[in-house]
Amino acid sequence: MDLVFAYIDPGSGSLVIQALIAGLVAIPIFFRRHIARAVNAIRGESDGTGGRAPAGDDRDAEA
Amino acid sequence: MTTATPKPERGRHQSPSRDPGSWRDPGSWRDPAGFVFHRDGVVYRQIAASFAADWEHYLASGLHDRLRDEDVILGHDDADIGMAIDPSAWRVIRPEPLELVSYPYEWSFSQLKDAALLTLRAQDEACEAGMTLRDASAYNVQFQHGRPVLIDSLSFERAEPGRPWIAYRQFCENFLAPLALMARVDIRLGRLLREHLDGVPLDLAARLLPGRARFSLGLGPHVFLHARAQRQHADDGATGAGSSAGARATMSASKLATLIESLRDTVAGLEWDPKGTVWADYADHTSYGEAGTSAKEAAVVAALRKAGGRRVWDLGANTGRYSRLAAEQGYRVVALDVDPGAVEGNYRAIRADGRDDILPLLGDLTDPSPALGWGSAERTSLLDRVDADIVLALALVHHLAIGSNVPLPMVAALFASLAPDVIVEFVPKQDAMVQRLLASRRDVFPDYTIEGFRDAFGGSFGLVSETPIEGTKRTLFHYRRR
Repeated sequence: MDLVFAYIDPGSGSLVIQALIAGLVAIPIFFRRHIARAVNAIRGESDGTGGRAPAGDDRDAEA
Repeated sequence: MTTATPKPERGRHQSPSRDPGSWRDPGSWRDPAGFVFHRDGVVYRQIAASFAADWEHYLASGLHDRLRDEDVILGHDDADIGMAIDPSAWRVIRPEPLELVSYPYEWSFSQLKDAALLTLRAQDEACEAGMTLRDASAYNVQFQHGRPVLIDSLSFERAEPGRPWIAYRQFCENFLAPLALMARVDIRLGRLLREHLDGVPLDLAARLLPGRARFSLGLGPHVFLHARAQRQHADDGATGAGSSAGARATMSASKLATLIESLRDTVAGLEWDPKGTVWADYADHTSYGEAGTSAKEAAVVAALRKAGGRRVWDLGANTGRYSRLAAEQGYRVVALDVDPGAVEGNYRAIRADGRDDILPLLGDLTDPSPALGWGSAERTSLLDRVDADIVLALALVHHLAIGSNVPLPMVAALFASLAPDVIVEFVPKQDAMVQRLLASRRDVFPDYTIEGFRDAFGGSFGLVSETPIEGTKRTLFHYRRR
C-alpha cells in the first residue's frame, strides 16, 4: 500500500473497521432510500435519484 | 504584551538565504508534500517534487476547477518557482489571501458542522475524480466571505481502488466526536478542541457520550465501534505481524460511498438549539427601550464614520446587532462573543442572509485563545490575530470590570493594544444591567464611575467624542490611541 502521503497516522483500527462499519450503516441507508422512493412513488413525482439528497444540501436544512 | 529585549520569534524558520522577509509558516510542517510560507507579506505554498503526480492529476482531472467554482476550495495562482524558500520546491502557488485565520475551538456549533459537511463534500467529489481527500483536519477549513472553505489544495491524492478512507479517523476525531459531544452532552465540550489539537480522541468521546448514543445508527458505529477497533488494533505495530493489518484492509468503492453518506447523515442529524445559554437572547432583555436603542445606533454610526478604517472587531458582539450596523457602513466585522448561543445565533442569521462581511467567533476576553501546539507557534493566539482598525465594545466594559474584576485601566490598555480607534460604551452603576451584576456580590468597585472610566481611558487614549445616549444612563465614548 502506498502510504507515502498519508502523513497523518490513519490508525490501523480505523482502516480495518471501515468495511464493517460501512456494512452496518448501509442498512438504515438502504431502508431510507426505499422509503423515500415509496413516498416519491405515492406522490407520483419520482425524480430518479433514489431519494439521495444532492451533496452539500444538508447544511441549509436547519437554517 | 511586549518584552524589553526582542527574542527570535519561536517557530519562525527563516529561509536558507536568511532573507528576513520570508519564513515558513509555523503551522505548516506536518505534510511532506509541501508547506506554506510567507514572503514580503504574501502567503505562498510550495509543492514538493514527490507530490507532482498527484498535483498534476488534481488539476488535469478538473477536480480543482470544480471545487473552486463551487467555493469548496480556496483558489490560487501559479507563482514563479524562484519565490520558493526551500530547494525542495517543485512548484510554488499563491493561494487567495485569507481575511483572517480562525480555529475550530473558536467556532460555533453550526460553523463546525458546516465545515464538516464541506469536508465530506470534498471527499465525495474527489472520489468522482478518482482521488481521495487524504487530510480531514478541521484546521484545513477557514471562514472566508462568511462561508467555510478548504484551504489546503494539497489535500487530494490519487485514490488506490479498493482502499478504505485514509482520513476517516481524522474526520471522526476532528468533526464528528466534538459535534456529537456538543449536541448530545454539553455545548461547552467544544472546548475540548482547544485541548486536543489533533481532534477529540474517540475513546474519550465514547466515555463522555450518554450510553444510549451507543445504539444510535450513526454514532454507534462511527464513534463507539470505531473507538473499540482503535483499542483492539492499538498494538498492531508492537506485535510485528499486525502492522500490516491496516495496510491490508480493503473496501469497495460502493462501501466507501456509503461510509461517506452515513457520515453526512450523522453530522446533519446532530442539532443544537441555543436556547438557555446566558446571552443568546440578551439583546431582547436590555434595560432600555426602542428610543434608547435608536439613539445608541445613531451614536455608534456617527462614531464609526468619524473613525474611518476598514475592519471592526466587535467585542462582546452578542448576536451581532451592532456588527450588522457596522457591516452596513461598509466595514468587515469580526463579531466576538463568549457565549456559544450568541455566536451560534449570529452565524445562523448571517448564513441565512448570505452576508459575507461578518465573521462570528467564540472567544473570552478574560481568557483569549492562547498560542498552542509545537513551539507555542503552531496555532497563534487570538490577540495576535486581531487586525482591527476599530474596536467596538458596547455593553461590555461592566462585564469585564464588575463581572470579572478587571481594573478599568487594564481594560483600556488591552483595547489600546488591539486597535487605534475604540468606540466604547460606559454603563454606570445606576443601570439595571449593572445592578443585576452587583445584586449577588459586594460592591468592591469604588472607581467604577464615569470619572474613573475617563481617567482610565485617558491614560491610553485621546478623546474624540463623548455622547450621552438619550433615554438611557449610558455614554458612548470614541477614543483614539495616542
